[in-house]
Amino acid sequence: MLSYEPGTTFAHALDPRTKLAFQAGFAVAAFAYTTPRGLAVLSVLALAALAAARRSPLAAAWDLRFAFPILLAAPLFEGLVVGPPWFSLARARFPALASYRVLLLLFVSAAYVYTTSARDSRAAIQWLVPGRPGRFLGLGIAVVFRFLPVLVADLQRARAAMRARLGTERSLAERIRIVTTAGLRRVDARADALSLALQARCVAWNPTLPRLGLGRRDAPVLALALVLALSPLL
Amino acid sequence: MSTDTDNVDLVDAAVVENLGRVALFAALMGAFAYVSFPNPFSPAPVTLQVLGVFLAGIFLGPVWGGVSIALYLAAGAVGAPVFSGGSAGLAPLVGQTAGYLWSYPVAAFVVGALVHGGLSVGDPREAGLVRLVGSMVAGTAIVYAMGVVGLMLVLGLGPVAAFMAGAAAFIPAEAFKIAAAVGIVRSDAFVAE
Repeated sequence: MLSYEPGTTFAHALDPRTKLAFQAGFAVAAFAYTTPRGLAVLSVLALAALAAARRSPLAAAWDLRFAFPILLAAPLFEGLVVGPPWFSLARARFPALASYRVLLLLFVSAAYVYTTSARDSRAAIQWLVPGRPGRFLGLGIAVVFRFLPVLVADLQRARAAMRARLGTERSLAERIRIVTTAGLRRVDARADALSLALQARCVAWNPTLPRLGLGRRDAPVLALALVLALSPLL
Repeated sequence: MSTDTDNVDLVDAAVVENLGRVALFAALMGAFAYVSFPNPFSPAPVTLQVLGVFLAGIFLGPVWGGVSIALYLAAGAVGAPVFSGGSAGLAPLVGQTAGYLWSYPVAAFVVGALVHGGLSVGDPREAGLVRLVGSMVAGTAIVYAMGVVGLMLVLGLGPVAAFMAGAAAFIPAEAFKIAAAVGIVRSDAFVAE
């Protein structure tokens, strides 16, 4: 599972907006240059992003393992041909490059997730989307971060209770219904409690968030993000 | 950044209640990524994400259901581990899962609009069985059509290979989710506001 971990690396010290800009620029460049040479350059940048977060590519790959089956299957499926020789390397070439491009994108965004706290992300979102829509979004995102582990635990408890009562003997649709109903009831109860608690604590449209400021170390990363974003025009 | 320190501008009670419900639904959608059941038809396990999309449209209505799923995408984009397999970040929104993820708010809106017959939210239990099932079939079609197109664009696959890799193994299990959703709506176990 990918999640934020506190730290003092170069990537932790960057402004969250800089890191978002870098991801966007990287994605533009990856789609524009899906060639062996382009991807070689981008591989160096992706590894540099992980290094800036002091993460090994292997640890990141383990966290991203659920994406691998489809990335491996894509070139295999596309290369299949009916009749001899059964597999065409020429047809599988582009999907293989495209799968690798997605892997690099996953590495770069993993570096963001490892090094950016929910509060920083929220501040960046509210800077990006001004006014009340941005604040609604920021507040909502904060609630999702807070309640995700709680609801995961709720669903696990519902499944454990179902197993203990031989619920595993029931049909798949029944099991899905039981677990989902439990989840919905918990959401309902928690939503009421949450809105009461928010009002009791005077939830405001203008909360105090961490002050975002671009530092000296943001400049080279922002410049690189701009170059990557404009690279298709070169 | 816009941090105001002079005046406190309270959020209205009605908005707070909606916000709590919508954001918790988005979190439930994320929690569904961690629940998987063995699939009787294929080795790919059944996760409940698409069911979350249906339920958002059915219980929150087209507008708030769509907003809730959009909030789910935004939270995942900035690092909440809510996407399939506990992944997060901007990459899933432009990578191999892009088509599926972008289809979710659209599908939630369409399911909600079809079940409630418009933009207003009524009691979903009043919708007929045909309407309920039909709206979820339409939602499933949107999710897989956009998902397959996403695979074609991002991984450079042809339509047949994209369908084989991204839809064929998963579509039969959708019938179980539709059946479960009908059961949830028809029972009194959970009553929407």
